[in-house]
Amino acid sequence: MILVNKDTKVIVQGATGKMGAAHTKRMLAYGTKIVGGVTPGKGGTTIHGVPVFDTVREAVDATGATASVIFVPPYLALDAGCEAAAAGIGLIVLITEGIPPQDTAKLVANTRARDVRLIGPNCPGIITPGETLLGILPGVIFKPGPVGMISRSGTLTYEIALVLSDAGHGQSTCVGVGGDPVKGMGYPELLSAFNDDPATEVIVLIGEIGGSAEEEAATFISERIKKPVVAYIAGQTAPPGKRMGHAGAIISGGKGTAESKMKALKAAGAHVATTPGEVVEMVTTARGQLLRT
Amino acid sequence: MNLYEYEAKSIFSQFGINIPPGMRVTKPEELRKVFFGYPLTLKCQVLSGGRGKAGGIKFARDLKEGEALAKQLLEMTIGGSRTESLLVEPKVAIARELYLSVTLDREQGCPIFIGSAEGGIEIESSANVVTVPIPYPYQPYVARDLAKRMGLSGNLLSKVADLATRLYNCFEKMDLDLAEVNPLVVTEGEEVVALDGKIIANDDSLGRQPYFKGWQSKHLVDLSDRECRSRLMGLNLVELDGNIGILCNGAGLTMATMDMVKKFGGRPATFLDVGGGSDQEKTLFALEIVAENPNVDVILLNILGGITACDDVAGALVNFMKKSPESRLVVRLRGNNQEIAEKMLAESGLKLIPDLEPAVKEAIEKSRTLAGARN
Repeated sequence: MILVNKDTKVIVQGATGKMGAAHTKRMLAYGTKIVGGVTPGKGGTTIHGVPVFDTVREAVDATGATASVIFVPPYLALDAGCEAAAAGIGLIVLITEGIPPQDTAKLVANTRARDVRLIGPNCPGIITPGETLLGILPGVIFKPGPVGMISRSGTLTYEIALVLSDAGHGQSTCVGVGGDPVKGMGYPELLSAFNDDPATEVIVLIGEIGGSAEEEAATFISERIKKPVVAYIAGQTAPPGKRMGHAGAIISGGKGTAESKMKALKAAGAHVATTPGEVVEMVTTARGQLLRT
Repeated sequence: MNLYEYEAKSIFSQFGINIPPGMRVTKPEELRKVFFGYPLTLKCQVLSGGRGKAGGIKFARDLKEGEALAKQLLEMTIGGSRTESLLVEPKVAIARELYLSVTLDREQGCPIFIGSAEGGIEIESSANVVTVPIPYPYQPYVARDLAKRMGLSGNLLSKVADLATRLYNCFEKMDLDLAEVNPLVVTEGEEVVALDGKIIANDDSLGRQPYFKGWQSKHLVDLSDRECRSRLMGLNLVELDGNIGILCNGAGLTMATMDMVKKFGGRPATFLDVGGGSDQEKTLFALEIVAENPNVDVILLNILGGITACDDVAGALVNFMKKSPESRLVVRLRGNNQEIAEKMLAESGLKLIPDLEPAVKEAIEKSRTLAGARN
């Protein structure tokens, strides 16, 4: 497993909002060690039995939290993220969708300078099945096992985890990096973490059209990754010039096509699936080969 | 949100960027009020690119020629975008053309300057381009660095660097995705002027930019009526040329479903992402707008409920089926509160399919039968 485990102490920024409160409850039910919530002006109250603080600094001092899940509205996210980084939080999971990308760029600059890991924005979060859940992923779909997943999508990650779990391929950790064009952690850092993780046998990479992150990941895979990688790219039949749901999912100026990404990943030695069903077949084959060697 | 050239230039000028004097014209006879001398440049105001090549820019030597050209240009459609008006400017005596823009670089995760010593070009296909990442907080030395790397020197270096800093300020303060000056011209009098301007305002930031309040609907002209109404409801609809209407929750899953339909031999008619935490009202709107499309024979609804509760979706389906026959529907529904959803839909005779691949295949099968019956 990577990034988080059952002992990770987590705070929730925006824990008293509608979405924050609902997911605080679900994360607690899953077993996540949520030690505090942060909502300015609501310090001293509780939410689902968890103490609420006015500031992240106060929450960290009182609880020793090292990770924060952020549910604040889009125009407050830059402030919330910078507050977490300044208070010594080491891992920020930013769920919020619709953040102005220039705000994200400023937050990325801030977290990089402080060596803080940022996941998201516009992401479902992280799950280490059976241990902990930071975000909005439906815990029941995920099962413990040896497949590490990295994805730009939310529900597509659930779909692929579902068919993998049904076929007996549980997951070590699944990370949704988010669907925005500008974001925190990307493929190389996470591929590298899964490569070093003894609990991960096979890495599943779920990309989509837009940008060149998958092409860069392909170069990284061929140079650095020893474990088998199964890749799937969504948007193989997407028309050019149209934004397909995610802010970052767009083919522009002939760049960012699924074809180019699949070609690069194949050339890097990854197994490239064309449907979620094929992802399962390829993971089965890769695990079978590992058993024989 | 793409802006028209005259809107972009007006914003540039508020940030102290030199623009030529100009007048927006919607009727040929308005040329009589032009307050500067001939020859004139007349430019179609459209939201698409490739205007020059399409013949959307003309020069007039006198009023008579100007009125004739204006009549012709005002009727033009370029790249699917109708001419909204004309921007009329005096013809500028150009000594040199440059290119300058600010945009966000998704891979580096920061804004960048893009500059070129050649202007009026298609920047994607030009070899002579420099890019400079812009650190936060901004300092003007970055613009001087850019100008130097564009090969400029002396007064011109200072003037272009000053304009680049203003362009960055505009980009940041107005929350833009792109601020572009192409060409940036140096006049024979050594003045640096933004001869053409393009702005793309960031859609997610419109809520905090009072300047753009109410602008969105008049700038969605390159979308179909249904795409436009969906956008205003906060839904992402893309219409395609097939006969299977696809609705899903989540962008990645919608794309994957569309890909599967195509791979197994079907033809997608819509891509509609109803979003993660969709409510009943939104889901019903989504179903109705897909059903409205006359090319749609079958509606494939694929919901994998993480945040989305299946009973909310079932509620929308019950309401939808009051008006529309269930024979066109193929529904894959799985996740939270699935049992409640099944009970709600039991009476309707609508069968829920728990797995995606069988649902896709069923939709394709049904689309063939229904398309056959229609022909």
